[in-house]
Amino acid sequence: MRYDPPLHKTQGLLPLILAAVALLVYPLVFEATYFRHVMILAFIFAIVATNWDLSLGYAGLFNFGHVALFAVGIYTYAILAKTLGVSPWLAILAGGGTAAIVALLIALPVLRLDGIYVILVTIALSQLIYLVVISWSDVTGGTSGMVTLPTLKIGDYRLSKDGRIGYYYIGLGLLALNIAFLYLLTRSRLGRAIMALRDNKYYAIARGVSEARTRALTLTASAVFTGIAGAFYGAYLRVASPDAFGMGFLTLVLSMLLVGGTGTIWGPLIGAFAISFLSEWLAGFGPWQNIIVALAIILVVVFYPGGLWAALQQLREVADGLRSQTLARIGRRRGKSAREALTGARERMLKTRYGQIAVADTGPTTGAGKPALLFLHGNSACKEAFYKQFRSFADRYRVIAFDLPGHGVSDNADPETTYNVDAYTRIAEEVLADCGVTRVHVFGWSLGGYVALELAARGTVEVTSLAICGTPPLAVVPDDMGRAYVPTAHMVLTAKQYFSREEARSYGQHATAPLSEESAFLHRAVRRTDGRARAYMMTKLSITDWPRQMRMLAEGRIPTAILDGSDDPFLNHDYVAGLKYGNLWKGAPQDIQDGKHAPFFNRTDAFDLTYFSFLRFAENDHMAGDAPA
Amino acid sequence: MDTAILIDIVKSGLVLGALYALMATGLSLVWTTLGIFNFAHGAFIALGAYLAWQFSSADAWGLPMVPAILLSCAVMFAIGALLHFLLVKPFERRQDIVLISVITTLAGAVILENGLQLIWGARSKQIPPLAEGAVEFGALSLRNSELILMGLVLAILLCVGLFLRYSRPGRSMRAVAQNQDAAALLGLNVPLYFSMVFGIAALTAGLAGVFVGTIRFMSPSMGSEPLMKALIVVIFGGVARFSSPIYAALIIGQIEAFSVYFVGLYWAPAVLFFTMIVVLLIKPEGLFGKYQRTL
Repeated sequence: MRYDPPLHKTQGLLPLILAAVALLVYPLVFEATYFRHVMILAFIFAIVATNWDLSLGYAGLFNFGHVALFAVGIYTYAILAKTLGVSPWLAILAGGGTAAIVALLIALPVLRLDGIYVILVTIALSQLIYLVVISWSDVTGGTSGMVTLPTLKIGDYRLSKDGRIGYYYIGLGLLALNIAFLYLLTRSRLGRAIMALRDNKYYAIARGVSEARTRALTLTASAVFTGIAGAFYGAYLRVASPDAFGMGFLTLVLSMLLVGGTGTIWGPLIGAFAISFLSEWLAGFGPWQNIIVALAIILVVVFYPGGLWAALQQLREVADGLRSQTLARIGRRRGKSAREALTGARERMLKTRYGQIAVADTGPTTGAGKPALLFLHGNSACKEAFYKQFRSFADRYRVIAFDLPGHGVSDNADPETTYNVDAYTRIAEEVLADCGVTRVHVFGWSLGGYVALELAARGTVEVTSLAICGTPPLAVVPDDMGRAYVPTAHMVLTAKQYFSREEARSYGQHATAPLSEESAFLHRAVRRTDGRARAYMMTKLSITDWPRQMRMLAEGRIPTAILDGSDDPFLNHDYVAGLKYGNLWKGAPQDIQDGKHAPFFNRTDAFDLTYFSFLRFAENDHMAGDAPA
Repeated sequence: MDTAILIDIVKSGLVLGALYALMATGLSLVWTTLGIFNFAHGAFIALGAYLAWQFSSADAWGLPMVPAILLSCAVMFAIGALLHFLLVKPFERRQDIVLISVITTLAGAVILENGLQLIWGARSKQIPPLAEGAVEFGALSLRNSELILMGLVLAILLCVGLFLRYSRPGRSMRAVAQNQDAAALLGLNVPLYFSMVFGIAALTAGLAGVFVGTIRFMSPSMGSEPLMKALIVVIFGGVARFSSPIYAALIIGQIEAFSVYFVGLYWAPAVLFFTMIVVLLIKPEGLFGKYQRTL
């Protein structure tokens, strides 16, 4: 069964539509011409900056000739529309064409150069173009440039009329087209090749990506809208000046890119607006204008390398953390009795060094004197996932479960130190110590399975039996993950920080059960989970001593059962069966027929029977082992 | 072609070459030692010229020429070391140091140039020529100021070269350039020598600025054209040895002088850039460079 999460759904659509509507409506409401003028300039600079980001940010290619492409667009417009009398609209399109050709010419020498040489060659080439423009004064007007270029007209209507409203909408339209172009490009095969070359050049080449061809295409693609923007700039300001080649202009656009944040489309877009308004606002301060913009560049590079976009992302993370923490706080007070009724266990909050952890324990009610049984839940779930087991195992066992930090009604915690298997295991130890339990049967599901394995491997608590479900043991991480799991896009969702509604439903459905009245609380648990818990789970993989877990399984001191669902969409069953176990119950994984990733929830009866007989086996086995002593 | 014209072209090429050598030396020194390209080098040239004007001009402090130049050298050294501390040192451990230093030095150049405009205004200034009069060698007529310029440049480059080759700090700088880690293990204070190299580069750029200031009118952006020339020289010759940019500068000076004569003042820079691009394509490590393309 192939699992295909809805990754193609974008999440930023709503803010984008809101911004677009605001930009569309705004000039109809406000008529301040100067503000509109700055907006038009910002549209143009945003096109230049986002396209520059395609080569600089996405491709990691230090192309410092990008601004020259913009200037080429200006001069193309000037020469075609004024000197040759071509229709201004055609001249604008031609601006994109010539810029693309020039970009290809710039690309040729840098195809096989690296690092600083790319900077030097591109700067040299743009200076060369500049010198040609200056020297060829019959055509280009030399150092004084060209003035009174033709304006754009629709019929007899000049676009500069009515407070330049026509230019405003054409600029906005060009920007929208440009964003759509870049968006589709970066998500296409070519876009992936571009980023692959940036992130791991040799691997990408080994996988058949042609560096030279991709570079040439990147530079050419980044030139098209840049040239069009240049031509539009020429049509708008009606001058073509060689200043557009200068270091001052280059620094200005570069600051938009850096202040906004490289490697994204939206960062330079925000940066272009921010810097355009900042620099217009500072225009009255003479040289201070440039000094302040330059200082802004340095400060951003020193203190905030990610730029404004990274700041927005951090804000979002803080907001999402607050949201999920608030959900946990509310749930802690409101739903406590409902949860206790569901599990039949007492719930209490335990203060650990990783924040408050919610523990469900039948000890105070029905569990006194019975052997302890600990259930560990998986990624983006909660302890109530085991409520059916609470019911069926409580008469023989003291059943304990707790919410992992960032899950259920436990606190969110410091992601750096807490959201990893190692810390989860320490929390499990604290919980057991608090319950006064020293010998325990452990059942771990999915992520909880790794916690169970780690708990057994650490050996600080006596684990009398170990059962895992949906958890392929790993030794070499992350290499083994490729074999242990069915390589689907699922792996993206498990580690994805923010879920859209649809992604949350899809994840909840495949990890637990389709949305129904019964499973609704599990789907709510997905929404409540601190997104950082998912993201850091993957980035902090290396903290855990995975080979120790594998050694523990191979040595076989603890009776172990593997109770996977036979239809688990994520697992590679052959991998799980092929590992070496020293003490595996019945010598093989005991798959629950028709069970999915959470068979204890979907196939409760079959699961409970199987797990019961394993527990009895383990107890007898243990007694037999204890007897000689 | 007339011999007199030929001699004239070669002579002006020599003067240009001497100037370019002085400009390029600091640039290549920083490049080889720190592994970065300093875009503030052009601003250093302008700053040096303005400082010398401030110290020597009758409108300002009015010091005699020699102490004024020495004083501006000292100030330039200090400013260079300071800018290294502010613009480059914070990023030394970052992986993308090459790109970051391009950005920060560009920003530093913008700040310096606009600062010059704030302090000294946009009105053009000029440093008085180094000497009046001319000498005749048969068909060759040399102005005294040109002679002094070439002599001084030769002396300065010789001093820097000897300093790097024989003095203890100079040898330490070369050690730091060759292998940072090994130099640090031997107890050399690597950031200190980096700062010193930056200071020396700023000092030589400032001296170049003084010479440019005696020839042309000064403006805050007077350094951008020399920066491009220095860039051409450094790429053309490579940075394998201290002397390679000097040879390259002399060749570039001749190419420029000849192309000014043959294709005109406006197209000459285009010829230079074109030459540089051709060299980069065929031999990216430069004419006198060894193959080494790690940067």
